[in-house]
Amino acid sequence: MAEIKVEGLSKEFGVGEDRVVALENVNLDVGGHVFVSVVGPSGCGKSTLLNILSGIETPSSGKVTITQDNHDAEPGYVFQAARLLPWRTVMDNLLFVQKDRSDATRARCQKYLEMVQLGDKVDKYPGELSGGMQQRVGIARAFSIEPDVLFMDEPFSHLDAITARSLRRELHDMWSQTKKTVLFVTHDVGEAVELSNRILVFAKGGKLEDDLQIDLPFPRDPAEEDVAVAKAQVLRKFEELDLIAS
Amino acid sequence: MATAVATGSRSPRGLPKILRSPTTARILFPFVVLGIWYFIYYTLDSRIFPSPQQVAVFMWEEITLTSGVRYSSVAENLYVQFGISLMRLTIGFVIALIVGTIIGLAMGVSKKVDAFFHDWVMGLLAMPALVYALFLGLALGFTNLGPIIAVVLAGAPFVIINIREGVRNTPKELIDMARSFEVPQNKVTRHVLLPSLMPFFFAAIRYAYAIGWKGLVITEVFASDRGMGWTIKFWYDAHRAHGVIGYAIFFIIFALALEKLVFDPLAERAFKWRPKIDAVQMAEGDFGGVQREGFLFIEDQEIDERERTASMESESHDG
Ligand SMILES: Nc1ncnc2c1ncn2[C@@H]1O[C@H](COP(=O)(O)OP(=O)(O)OP(=O)(O)O)[C@@H](O)[C@H]1O
Ligand SMILES: [Mg+2]
Repeated sequence: MAEIKVEGLSKEFGVGEDRVVALENVNLDVGGHVFVSVVGPSGCGKSTLLNILSGIETPSSGKVTITQDNHDAEPGYVFQAARLLPWRTVMDNLLFVQKDRSDATRARCQKYLEMVQLGDKVDKYPGELSGGMQQRVGIARAFSIEPDVLFMDEPFSHLDAITARSLRRELHDMWSQTKKTVLFVTHDVGEAVELSNRILVFAKGGKLEDDLQIDLPFPRDPAEEDVAVAKAQVLRKFEELDLIAS
Repeated sequence: MATAVATGSRSPRGLPKILRSPTTARILFPFVVLGIWYFIYYTLDSRIFPSPQQVAVFMWEEITLTSGVRYSSVAENLYVQFGISLMRLTIGFVIALIVGTIIGLAMGVSKKVDAFFHDWVMGLLAMPALVYALFLGLALGFTNLGPIIAVVLAGAPFVIINIREGVRNTPKELIDMARSFEVPQNKVTRHVLLPSLMPFFFAAIRYAYAIGWKGLVITEVFASDRGMGWTIKFWYDAHRAHGVIGYAIFFIIFALALEKLVFDPLAERAFKWRPKIDAVQMAEGDFGGVQREGFLFIEDQEIDERERTASMESESHDG
């Protein structure tokens, strides 16, 4: 079981006049089979949080640990932009992050590419794909290592509504089958309510303002009344916290 | 661009498509040059200025070894002279690539190394080849070493600045991606760092080669008794303009052949991942994220930018 522990985490960029506080004294404990959404206005430190958790950035102060059954957990990351190697084919982009190139590994990569409807594009270069396809390769790449924890930074925001919807369903199925821990950044409150057990609300200045539980059974249909009500409640919470620019 | 084509094809009075194609323009170019040449030839009425057919005959005699001219006791014909120059160029070029890559890498990685070399590289870049041609002639006499050093001095600065720029443009977001997936460093080097350097390396090769030739020829004029540069000087001394022009054309043919037969196919292979223009436009149009983080396009622009600055620098270099 994976566990993410964040204690007194702060992150600043720049010095003097350029100083920006991206995260301020964030405390967090996320463990086990949970789907956690992270919401908040642009620039409130959501990507920075994922970057620190995945080891790309280092904290200015505070402590972060991610463990899986008491050893270091293996993270998968879907970035806000696809971040593919332009000089490698789709398949080689997936193989790049694998531990080996065995037939089993290839078959696994193929499986996840098919999941994002790109099974016939394995030999294409990223430049030959549309933006949405590139984003889906990025999603398949993160899934293909079958990580202990999965970080996703607005993975569906560039996709059309239909693809986004089917991928949301795939993500939910995968999450419920594999019992992974997912940390999911989104701007879309409906998406957050549909997918998560827990919603972390960040405010400008990188403060963790609220930590909401959504205790509704899955699968959640956005058209159903209790899901719509939960969404409305979250939006009301945003207003209380003065997060919605008027 | 797409708009221009669409408008053109809609206009019935526009030029036929075949006349507007870049290939036609390319083929047309030598004929335009030839026309201007004839024009000058007939209006100038000079005894020095040769007609195109004079030059053509001269070149044919050189190629078939029927001219009967013996340039010197050591090296007597086009092929020998050319072989000598090519040997000097190749050796100098390889040294320039190796030395330039090492220094460029070090300058890109370390600010201190960059500060140490920077002014000297820029100085060398601005120095006319004539200066070291004369100096090498005085210092080393008529040897192979002088022309080889000239190629290194001319070519290495271009390798250095290109490689340095390449290192500075390493795609940080891809390296971060690799780190988050815990990809080992040697794999990152092979699959991220080296491929990202390739466009810069190719630019370095092309410039080092072209500028190396120029440095070589000037040095052979002043500090050698053989080679292509020396041969051109031979015809200059003999007041035979058709010899000078003929050898200049040999030069152009060789440079273009190498470009088309060696560099272009190599680049084609190394960059087959590059999207065709249409794909670029599509990605730019419908996905802001790619444009923002897709350094691919930025890199292209930067290469163009540098090709411009580098060619500007090469102009000052020649002067
Ligand atoms: N590498 C960096 N250098 C300097 N400042 C940075 C850097 N990365 C992030 N920041 C700053 O930190 C703050 C938080 O950025 P972050 O990318 O985490 O926001 P975000 O919540 O992901 O926003 P969005 O929803 O727009 O993606 C911003 O003010 C940003 O300008
Ligand atoms: Mg972000």
